[in-house]
Amino acid sequence: MLLNRESSGKRWHLRPDGVGKVTGKLQYLTDMTLPDMVHGRVLRSSYPYARILSIDITGAEAMEGVLAVLTSKDVPGLNLFGIATPDQPVFCEHVVRYVGDAIAAVAADSPERAAIALDAIRVEYEEWTPLDSPEAALAPGAPELHEHGPGNVLHRTEIKRGNVDEGFATCQHIVSETYYTPRQMHAYMETEGGLFVPDENGRLHVYAATQHGYKDRMQLARIIGCSEEDIRVVSSPIGGSFGGKDELNVQPYGALLALRSGRPVKMHNSRKESVRAGLKRHPMKIEMQTGISREGMIQAHRVRITADTGAYATLGAPVLNFCTEHCLGPYSIPHVDVEGVSVYTNNGVSGEFRGFGGNQAIFAMEGQMDRLAEIMDMDPWEFRRRNMRGKTDPGPLNQRILVTDGLSQVWEAMDRSELWQKHQHPPANPASPPWIKRGVGAAIAMHGAGLGYGIPDPAGGRLSLNAEGKIEVAFSYEEFGQGLIATLEMMLCDLFYCSTSDLSIVIGDTDRVPHSGSSTASRSTTMAWMALQRLQTPFRSKMLSVASALSGIPSDELVTGPGGIWLRGKSTESKAEKIAMSPVITEVVGERTSGSSESFNDTSDTVDNAALISGLVVSYVDLAKQGKSEEWIFDTQFEYPTTPDNVVGGHYLYTYAAVAAEVEVNTLTGEAKLLDTRHVVAAGPVINPMGFIGQIEGGSVMALGFTLTEDALMQDSRYMTTNLDTYLIPTIRDIHTNLEVEAIENLPEGDPFGPRGIGEIGSVALAPAITAAIHQATGVWVNRLPVPRDQLIKPLDVSLQKGVSST
Amino acid sequence: MTEPLGNFWTAVVNGEKKQLRIAQTTRLVDVLRTQLSLTGTKVSCEVGRCGACMVLMDGEPVNSCLVMAYQCVGSEITTIEGLHGEKEGELHPIQQAFVEEGGFQCGYCTPGMVISTKALLDRYPQPSQEQIETGLCGNLCRCTGYGGILRAVKKVIDEQDRMGST
Repeated sequence: MLLNRESSGKRWHLRPDGVGKVTGKLQYLTDMTLPDMVHGRVLRSSYPYARILSIDITGAEAMEGVLAVLTSKDVPGLNLFGIATPDQPVFCEHVVRYVGDAIAAVAADSPERAAIALDAIRVEYEEWTPLDSPEAALAPGAPELHEHGPGNVLHRTEIKRGNVDEGFATCQHIVSETYYTPRQMHAYMETEGGLFVPDENGRLHVYAATQHGYKDRMQLARIIGCSEEDIRVVSSPIGGSFGGKDELNVQPYGALLALRSGRPVKMHNSRKESVRAGLKRHPMKIEMQTGISREGMIQAHRVRITADTGAYATLGAPVLNFCTEHCLGPYSIPHVDVEGVSVYTNNGVSGEFRGFGGNQAIFAMEGQMDRLAEIMDMDPWEFRRRNMRGKTDPGPLNQRILVTDGLSQVWEAMDRSELWQKHQHPPANPASPPWIKRGVGAAIAMHGAGLGYGIPDPAGGRLSLNAEGKIEVAFSYEEFGQGLIATLEMMLCDLFYCSTSDLSIVIGDTDRVPHSGSSTASRSTTMAWMALQRLQTPFRSKMLSVASALSGIPSDELVTGPGGIWLRGKSTESKAEKIAMSPVITEVVGERTSGSSESFNDTSDTVDNAALISGLVVSYVDLAKQGKSEEWIFDTQFEYPTTPDNVVGGHYLYTYAAVAAEVEVNTLTGEAKLLDTRHVVAAGPVINPMGFIGQIEGGSVMALGFTLTEDALMQDSRYMTTNLDTYLIPTIRDIHTNLEVEAIENLPEGDPFGPRGIGEIGSVALAPAITAAIHQATGVWVNRLPVPRDQLIKPLDVSLQKGVSST
Repeated sequence: MTEPLGNFWTAVVNGEKKQLRIAQTTRLVDVLRTQLSLTGTKVSCEVGRCGACMVLMDGEPVNSCLVMAYQCVGSEITTIEGLHGEKEGELHPIQQAFVEEGGFQCGYCTPGMVISTKALLDRYPQPSQEQIETGLCGNLCRCTGYGGILRAVKKVIDEQDRMGST
């Protein structure tokens, strides 16, 4: 189904956080203030790599208005953080390893005084030559950046199957290419910051963005040396994250300064500081050799991945795992030899970023597919079809995965699309001058969801009837723009046929939510849905049985509905008429789209229940007064579904996407302009169409930046692009104004996992589609992102080319 | 806190006359966010590139991170908090359209985007695509891909068109 407002019908659900956002009334955590607060600032390293000889804070401490000056000596607990591998110092003591390294922090009564106090801290360094690339860091004799070595390797990966040399020996054609991808910046509009408030009971209240409040709380407790219960983390709403705020950033400094000064501390990074200290997407070099038989079947695939993970680990290892898994694409390949290495350097820290290493891998693999198809003189889409994994084939790591038709469905939908059909007859605009060239390209991807086998991926949730008589749902997920609150609202209305005013949705506060894992890896929607599937029956039974006891009506004659429990009506009317009886139900349920999963759509008896409503028996408010409040609370705990096979990082659930792009290239300026795009996404039933479109469109434009303009350039391990005036993310002028989203909603019959997340899938396959289109337009095979303009500039004529030649 | 330095700064902010004692070199964005607690105006790049801090100064859109307090003495400033529908408390048609079309996700760019849309439509009630793109290219959004924003702007234009033709 082509997804838009019209086709969504009544499921076009207005976001509950919309009014606050468009009026500016919604307070982000960086907007919060308290009357007696002070301002925190962090002193960062002057060099990318140096030994610290001395730190003198006496001048800063003596300044008027300065309440606290902290260095490594003032960290009561572990002076390290890191979501998976805690190797990043809160404050450096002996060595600095990148320009974002923190050495000291101050709290002062004004931002200006805090800045002056930072200037007054004297640090003496012995400057060392930075390791500014993985090659430099892997060179023999290179200094080791971390003690845990060996060398500067953070992590290695490997997939070996068959015998790749024998495989290549049978090949008719072999394509070898090396692909380079940029150090992309998350560029969330709200930079890192928040408010850190110690209370009179000795508890610390942290109001700062994160994708996983409980993980922040655990890490902060470890740094402060207190119990986790001594800290409350409030972590929504968030002005964008995309993976970039999953690690601690300002939190250790805000927390320690607040505890030392005894005052609320406000932190808010400037953009420049955010660039300097914050995470980026891993720049990667991916060497690929792919061989095919005479018939065009891939026989052998050799891959070498080198990832620049920067100064600290963060999620560099899992990102490399993900890249390794995805560099085989959705294809059947008998002989495989993949090796990946993630390398510490003195560059900016690379970590989690939407797509999680899939973007780089898919760009490279799909690039190979287009090159091979051309050698075969075969339609690139047909070439992909021939090599695609079968429905029941194992996953990329030879692991068992959930059987779905997603891959062939997105392939077929794209094959039929008008945009892709243009590929057959390369489009030209007759009105354009001859140096304007057009082409169409497409790419396909399967993208793993959840953290993968062997990595703790707990989920859960809570459903309750609260004291105010609201149906309350609580999760430890965060709202960073993706529309989670709206999606939860819709799921609950679907389940209970209640109205939105009956709901209380609680997220982003460790004091109020159960531990249900993090908002990452496109997992929140699936996990919330699965939790509600587990909780709905006991919760509904409880409500109905209490209502039955109160009213004397048998509970099987009662149903949940707007405002409370209703009496079932007569069942003789048609379903359509019954649904039409209640405007709220009509609003919420709308018309289900055809092709939705049966299990999602119709198995719960709530549809019938809802259809039979005829009279209110007892309100939720009155129900909530019955019995003890804890009797109304229902919890669940479970794990994200993983493959049963022992393959670390291997996924079980995948989403599938095909993307086509029409591009116009100006061969005088080298500018490539994306004109038209179609995303086909197979991710199960669309719960929240507005959110779905927003995530795919937003991911697509983020991928456009990845492809054409974005690179946080570093020279000698220092950022050259320090703000949004030189680091160029797409503006409204740069986007593809024609962007269509087609959603394939089928899931296997009885699928217990429900809707899949789509937070990343819109961002992973656009780059190869664009570079394929550029190739059709210009004949140039692009192997480097962002696409270098000079590669697309054609000389005016041969004589001019000769004129500049030395011969 | 120490006493703020400087002379009196006066301006009309969202229709109300404001008088503050501040350094005249303070940026307007700080006057709004810190002195007047109008945090609907956001701060992001601080170099005039992203538009998150966009406000109207005598009806013209300006990046309030680039305007010094002394430059707007006596001016009329409209922030996102000053925008409303026919009655106070109601959404302005632009705000309403952003809500209905999903012209926001994280929402951090949204106040600036709405203000720029207001300035655009005040100047060109029926803007061309080119004028829309020019009017909004000073506002960066990282979440929506601009699709919802464009649909919201077009919805307002269509509504105006409809109202005008009836």
